[in-house]
Amino acid sequence: MVNFSLSEENEMFRKAAREFAETEVAKYVPEMEETSKVPDGLLKALAEAEMLAITIPESYGGLELGYTARLIALEEISRVSVATAMMLQVFALGIEPIVQFGSDEQKSKYLPGLASGELLATAAVTEATGGSDPSGIRTSYKKDGDDYIVNGRKCFITNSHVANTLTILAKSEENPKEFCAFIVERGMEGFKATHVEHKVGFRGCNTGELSFENLRIPKENLLGQEGKGMRVTMSAIGEIGRGGMVGCALGLQAACLEASIKFASERILYGKPIVKLAAIQEKIAEMKIELEAGRLLGYRAAALQDGGIGSSNEFAAAKYFTTEAAIKAAKVAVDIHGGYGCMEEYAVTRYYRDAAVLGPSAGTSAIMKVIVARWALS
Amino acid sequence: MKIVVCIKAVPDPKEADKITIDPVTKTLTRGNIPFVINPLDRHAVEAALQLKQTYGGTITILSMGPPAAGNIVKECLALGADQGILLSDRAFGGADAYATAYTLAKGIERNGVFDLILCGMASSDGATEWVGPQIASFLDIPVVTMVNEIADNDSELWQVKTAWEDGYRRVAIQLPALFTVARELNQPKNLSFSGIIKARKKEITSWCIDDLGLPIEVVGLKGSPTIVGDFGTLETGRSVEILQGTSEEKAEKLVEILSEAGALG
Amino acid sequence: MNKNNQNGAVWVLAELKNGVPHPVSLQLIGKARILADKLGACVETVLLGEQLKEPARLLIESGADTVYMADSINLAVYQSDVYASILSDLVKQQNPEIFLLGSTFMGRELAPILAVKLETGLTAHCIDLVLKDNMVLDQQIPAYGGLISILCPERRPQMATVASGVFATPEPDSSRSGEIVNIELPSGIQNRARVLEIVKEETGKQSLEEATFIVAGGIGTGNEKGWNSLQELSETLRAALGCTRPVVDEGWAELETMIGQSGKMVSPQYYLGAGLSGELQHMVGIKGAQLMIAVNNDSKSPVFEQVDIGIIEDCATFIPLLVAKINEAKG
Repeated sequence: MVNFSLSEENEMFRKAAREFAETEVAKYVPEMEETSKVPDGLLKALAEAEMLAITIPESYGGLELGYTARLIALEEISRVSVATAMMLQVFALGIEPIVQFGSDEQKSKYLPGLASGELLATAAVTEATGGSDPSGIRTSYKKDGDDYIVNGRKCFITNSHVANTLTILAKSEENPKEFCAFIVERGMEGFKATHVEHKVGFRGCNTGELSFENLRIPKENLLGQEGKGMRVTMSAIGEIGRGGMVGCALGLQAACLEASIKFASERILYGKPIVKLAAIQEKIAEMKIELEAGRLLGYRAAALQDGGIGSSNEFAAAKYFTTEAAIKAAKVAVDIHGGYGCMEEYAVTRYYRDAAVLGPSAGTSAIMKVIVARWALS
Repeated sequence: MKIVVCIKAVPDPKEADKITIDPVTKTLTRGNIPFVINPLDRHAVEAALQLKQTYGGTITILSMGPPAAGNIVKECLALGADQGILLSDRAFGGADAYATAYTLAKGIERNGVFDLILCGMASSDGATEWVGPQIASFLDIPVVTMVNEIADNDSELWQVKTAWEDGYRRVAIQLPALFTVARELNQPKNLSFSGIIKARKKEITSWCIDDLGLPIEVVGLKGSPTIVGDFGTLETGRSVEILQGTSEEKAEKLVEILSEAGALG
Repeated sequence: MNKNNQNGAVWVLAELKNGVPHPVSLQLIGKARILADKLGACVETVLLGEQLKEPARLLIESGADTVYMADSINLAVYQSDVYASILSDLVKQQNPEIFLLGSTFMGRELAPILAVKLETGLTAHCIDLVLKDNMVLDQQIPAYGGLISILCPERRPQMATVASGVFATPEPDSSRSGEIVNIELPSGIQNRARVLEIVKEETGKQSLEEATFIVAGGIGTGNEKGWNSLQELSETLRAALGCTRPVVDEGWAELETMIGQSGKMVSPQYYLGAGLSGELQHMVGIKGAQLMIAVNNDSKSPVFEQVDIGIIEDCATFIPLLVAKINEAKG
């Protein structure tokens, strides 16, 4: 018999994450919605609650709790604030390449600070040439003695302006089939975080552009092998990035379902709460089924990842399913709210906008299908 | 300091209004309502953690309940307590406050020497406020209830502040003693991930009636001086008029009713 | 102690408030009188404190046959060890059938200690006491939408605490006479929890027990903003503001303003309950109101079976509207 339930300890992680989200994150949501800025207090709270340390090895000051615990934390935080969950998931996205491919020196230099929250991370691959086609990037590097000189621009980068440590992907000027991954530090000359995006959803999660102008990167900051940079970044995106989106989507699905049930239980039409009507129950049932299914896909993939087994295909399927389900759930939640679903005091309007940003993050639904087709046909 | 905190697993108070009683069998239908730590006991645990930080020592969590209550004890270990004891036996079931306090007192005695016992002042289900003072009475130690402030203390006499009618009371109490705590005493910290990790190494012991060396007559239903009798309904004798119309019309009608009744002065 | 006594008196622990008997003590004597008459027994009270002559007289005029008294400056302030010691000795000597205490701060700490010393049962926050045929007291408490009877079939005395306001205050009858018995105090009673001081604080808020109009809010008021709205309503109506337990848990109001079985018992003329479901624990706290109104957005809420006027509306929108309409009417 396959064990489908979370361990007792994981249930406690869920409780702890939920408590944290409700008591420490929820209070920042109105400010984030209004200013679209990342509150300092929120970053501090995330660090204090050890949320940044989940995927970092114990030997470098992390909790080394694995990917199921990570998914639980993201799901619970997203239920309260998708923007916060997104920010958190991308911190891990910047951390993972260092954990997997970093030298001992690099790990000792960056991981303890990343675990404590003194340093914040991100990954920067996407450019105007299209995130769906990473090999088409134009940011390039050339060797200069032992150093590398990088030129180019990145866009749609989460945590662009708050990150201290950025794992970037650049293509060799000489050979377009060779890529390098570098650890860029904020403050390096030639590196600038430039334009800040104003998104329709995920407000308070910082997204922006980066520019590299003759950015000199010392050889100590080359991550992984020279020429093999694609592997470094893509493995992180495939599992951590997609896995993070699954957490964001599941939390949003749960929030939509809860809000719908609450509203429908209190809204009286024709003398009784609308939750008694078949039409409403049908919508609620569909949301519930997709949430259950999404959880199974997500936690199965996370279990594989915890077992050290490649899970990027499973995560592609889970990412596609859960983000699409979240978009549907948000629309249905708005519908159930009737006219109130258009009023900003009602959280479902935020869910609707947040759902819109889930799709293109960490790979579009179309790209997920390309990956899953390849998986099916292999 | 050796501190013992007595906790109770209760149905989540946020969902407690879903619990109903069958008027014929007098049994409760709890449904799927999850069990949580009695909210006031969380404040007792927090008080223990703060005292441990100041004075050093160990915190033992004690609870009488079914095996499922073990999760609640584990949670307290994750919050920072050092060890847990669960008093669990079919024979303990059906206990009123007296029998509950007696069993807990025996558990405390079996555990050994202590300096301070902390309890939430009341449970969210039941809410008699009896168990804390009765444990103290069984152990023949002094008790002070509704503590909302613990002063910095030297070892001889502890000074605490409690709620009191129209104000407050200041008490100087000799240890070993028992305090029941009020919500205003502290703000409990959240469960932390590293706390949960540390709890892996901590032990929870389970004691049954034989471990406490007690005869069946003094515990549970048999050991309870009070029993539950009949369940009846409460008649109010009012028949309600539900106001109709738009919100505005209802508000106006209500103002009229209040005015006629002389309520608007 | 087990059931086997000749005496069968109904006892009340009397306490003082500002030098005179606490209202609950007089109310319990009134109830004790009813129970004792049915039992064919006496009503006896115990009073510890200082300057007790006048208070003792009022206790007798209110229905007590005997007042056991310990009048000493050392007893002026309640000390748990001392009071518990004196009382348990006295009860063991005199063997009352029933022993009632007020659910005051003192009662709630002292009663459980005594119950253990006397090895007997104790019921908390009763809203009625009914004598059954076999001298067993049916102690009634509200729970799960109804009334539960608690019985103490074997042990004696049968102990119960009752909040102020549950029973009526008896009219003193100056023609009544009774016995005053001075208790001999043993020497060397331990006092391990010494009360250093009791301090009264002025809140400046209208007392719930004395208010003519009470507005009570439940969790359905929604949030802090909704609570502030309700506060405004109570100020506009010059009413006292009370609440239910979930509101205290949310931190919108203090425990002292909670109305109900384990909070304050009130008897206003007018009551408006907003955003509360009419849970019995709260509703039993309100007695004898001339006009009761409820505002709640759930038509199925039990509160609508317990009031005179029901308004099915969301508090968030209705309360501010009501405030506006009242201000309009006042001109």
